[in-house]
Amino acid sequence: MKHLIRNTTLATTLLLGAGVAHADWPGDRPIELIVAFAPGGGTDVMNRTLAPFIEKELGAKITILNRPGASGEIAYTAMTEANPDGYTASSLNTPGYLTMQMDRKVRFDPKKLCLVARIVEDPGSFIVQANSEFNSLKDLVAYAKANPGAVTVGTTGLGTDEHLAMLQLEKSAGVDFTAVTFNGANEARTALLGGHVMAIGINVGEFVGSDHSAFKNLGQFAEKRAVIAPDLPTAKEQGYEVLISSERGIAMGCDVPENIRTKFSDAVRKALDNPEFQGKAKQQSLALSYLSSEDWNREMPVRAERLGAIWKLAKEQQ
Amino acid sequence: MEFLDLLSLGFSEALTPTNLGFCLLGALLGTLIGVLPGIGPTATIAVLLPITFYLPPLAGIIMLAGIYYGAQYGGSTTAILVNLPGEASSVVTAIDGYRMARNGRAGSALAVAALGSFFAGTVATFGIAIAGPTLSSFALSFGPAEYVSLMLFGLLAATVLARGPVLKAIGMVLLGLLFGMVGIDASSGEERLTFSAVELFDGIDFVVIAIGLFGFAEIIENLENHEARGVLVTKLSRLWPTGEDFRRAWPAVLRGTGVGTFLGVLPGGGATLASFCAYSVEKKASKNPKEFGNGAVEGVAGPEAANNAGAQSSFIPLLTLGIPSNNMMAMMLSAFIIHGITPGPTVLATQPEIFWGLVASMWVGNLMLVVINLPLIGIWVKLLTVPYRLLYPAILLFCCVGVYSINNRIFDVVLAAGFGLLGYAFRKAKCEAGPLLLGFVLGPLLETNIRRAMTISHGDPGVFYERPISLLLLIATVGMFVLMILPSFRRTRQEAFQDEEA
Repeated sequence: MKHLIRNTTLATTLLLGAGVAHADWPGDRPIELIVAFAPGGGTDVMNRTLAPFIEKELGAKITILNRPGASGEIAYTAMTEANPDGYTASSLNTPGYLTMQMDRKVRFDPKKLCLVARIVEDPGSFIVQANSEFNSLKDLVAYAKANPGAVTVGTTGLGTDEHLAMLQLEKSAGVDFTAVTFNGANEARTALLGGHVMAIGINVGEFVGSDHSAFKNLGQFAEKRAVIAPDLPTAKEQGYEVLISSERGIAMGCDVPENIRTKFSDAVRKALDNPEFQGKAKQQSLALSYLSSEDWNREMPVRAERLGAIWKLAKEQQ
Repeated sequence: MEFLDLLSLGFSEALTPTNLGFCLLGALLGTLIGVLPGIGPTATIAVLLPITFYLPPLAGIIMLAGIYYGAQYGGSTTAILVNLPGEASSVVTAIDGYRMARNGRAGSALAVAALGSFFAGTVATFGIAIAGPTLSSFALSFGPAEYVSLMLFGLLAATVLARGPVLKAIGMVLLGLLFGMVGIDASSGEERLTFSAVELFDGIDFVVIAIGLFGFAEIIENLENHEARGVLVTKLSRLWPTGEDFRRAWPAVLRGTGVGTFLGVLPGGGATLASFCAYSVEKKASKNPKEFGNGAVEGVAGPEAANNAGAQSSFIPLLTLGIPSNNMMAMMLSAFIIHGITPGPTVLATQPEIFWGLVASMWVGNLMLVVINLPLIGIWVKLLTVPYRLLYPAILLFCCVGVYSINNRIFDVVLAAGFGLLGYAFRKAKCEAGPLLLGFVLGPLLETNIRRAMTISHGDPGVFYERPISLLLLIATVGMFVLMILPSFRRTRQEAFQDEEA
């Protein structure tokens, strides 16, 4: 095994050519992957599962370091301030990465942060109790129209994907909901099970990946149905303009040489194609949706603009 | 009896050599990290999660569960020996346990804690087996309004934790509430008391504040005192509890088990509340409440039983509903999902061997822990004979490593040091840190639930007294408050205080 790693490293070094300043990358030392969330959470488990497969592609060692806090700002700051030698990368999640920039002056320079590879795009959705009278977003909207403010929707805080989805649905359908904040999806699910709120927002992956026999999903907020939920109609199909998803991917400093970032991006793509990883991804209900560095960087401003418009709505309501 | 069949299925799973081996490994690891201050089970399990990829599902989960309850055992060891509670549930153990250790009864305290925990673990395990699904539906009926009433009750109970005057205790609870507010408020997105420090956006971690107020402050105070550094070694005579200890401890263990099993089921703060509530129950039930805080064996037995029972019963919502009740359980949920098992009612029906195997292994693990821990007591107690000048740098080092490892940043270590100085000032002012910690833990829960309840009711405070469980808890709170301000009660408190001074 060791020989194999050394040989691949040697081969890639030769391929890169001796003229490049960072010719030894990634053979020098382990690549540090900063995970912006606490150990054991969805993002952490995903990265820990994926890391060995990227290691195999790169022929390098990857160590995971959790730097949780401030929805990722601490990790992004640490990553953009690290030596731009390609040995530090960080996980990156939207919409948190975008909304934090709308809300406050962040401690890192977003211009110094370059997207490397998108791994997952997980659409938002609304769920209710399995025995609820609501069977679609239409039913929920009709009830809200008849009883303004009576529909309580559990979210995990201001500017989270569930909250933004709720605002979009309110605007698109012309109704009023009442947002109830919970500390995390699990608390919200408990409250829904106990009948303390009528509906909650949850990512499709979280829904599919848990025992959902007690719940019913009303619709997903994606452009087209996610691979993990092909039978669940989108909001658009039901006539509402609601488009919210959370993405998970990897970012590096922009000062890191471009060929290193591209190589990393390619390694992620190959790792995602590995059937063994896909088996594990299925177990964790990961809505895999790879975007290369180039594609993701192109798509991000569009997403930022869309979120910006909803964000303004949120601020007006306060 | 159907559940006996299922339980025997569970034991046949738990007693296979592989599962037995991983249960032992988990229990050993758990004890070890529990004893090392600040290094919590959450971080350990996160590191070990990827390793469980290569284990059979049940074996991996059994090992992780073993780490969790093993850490509960280990955590009380440091709380008793060096006044260092590793997590919220052992704060209370430290109050009387450490006093017992200073009086040369460390062995008794440790033995009572271990045996009480074992008994509580046994009862709670059978509780899960018999009444798991029923208990979880009860937990669901706890909505925001019920939590508000429960937290009010808990906060009032916190003042009982202190030896000194009620006013000081209430002041400390309020300070705790203030520290609990630090961070970004989820519903408005505003920063509160963060002083623009990005490290404070998510609030202060419990371990930081506990290590500071208890660990660091204790060390400073011990170093100040030249004659009696650390624990008095001379009186160290007995390792085993006396008959009198047993007589006094067993009713406390019974009560603690009840309180713990019941409260542990509640998602969010239930298990933490369990040990605090058990302590106040004991103090109320005792004929000599002034002994509490000076090494009352009931003050160790009750809370220890409660926190272990609570640790076990917090598995109930996860296993029966698929909902984790705290961070630790969220980690366990990840472990299940990695193995393609999604806990919940479906798994209960389709893969009974997983649920029952885990339940049975918890009992086996508890038995192992007693067997591991009882002989170790002698060694732990010997640790106290190590000269303090050698002991305290080691404690300090482990504290710093533990605090650093929470978020991998030095900021938290500095913050803990700051709390150490604050804790030292509190000790000089004869203000106790216990009520502050309870305020710190319960405050944010109280606040978010008040807001939730009021949002859902559209500003109508009626929800608090129209819902029966909430009303009942409010009546209990008012009842306790009346008891506290009654003259007779005040006198006993003051007597206790004067004794302390004398």
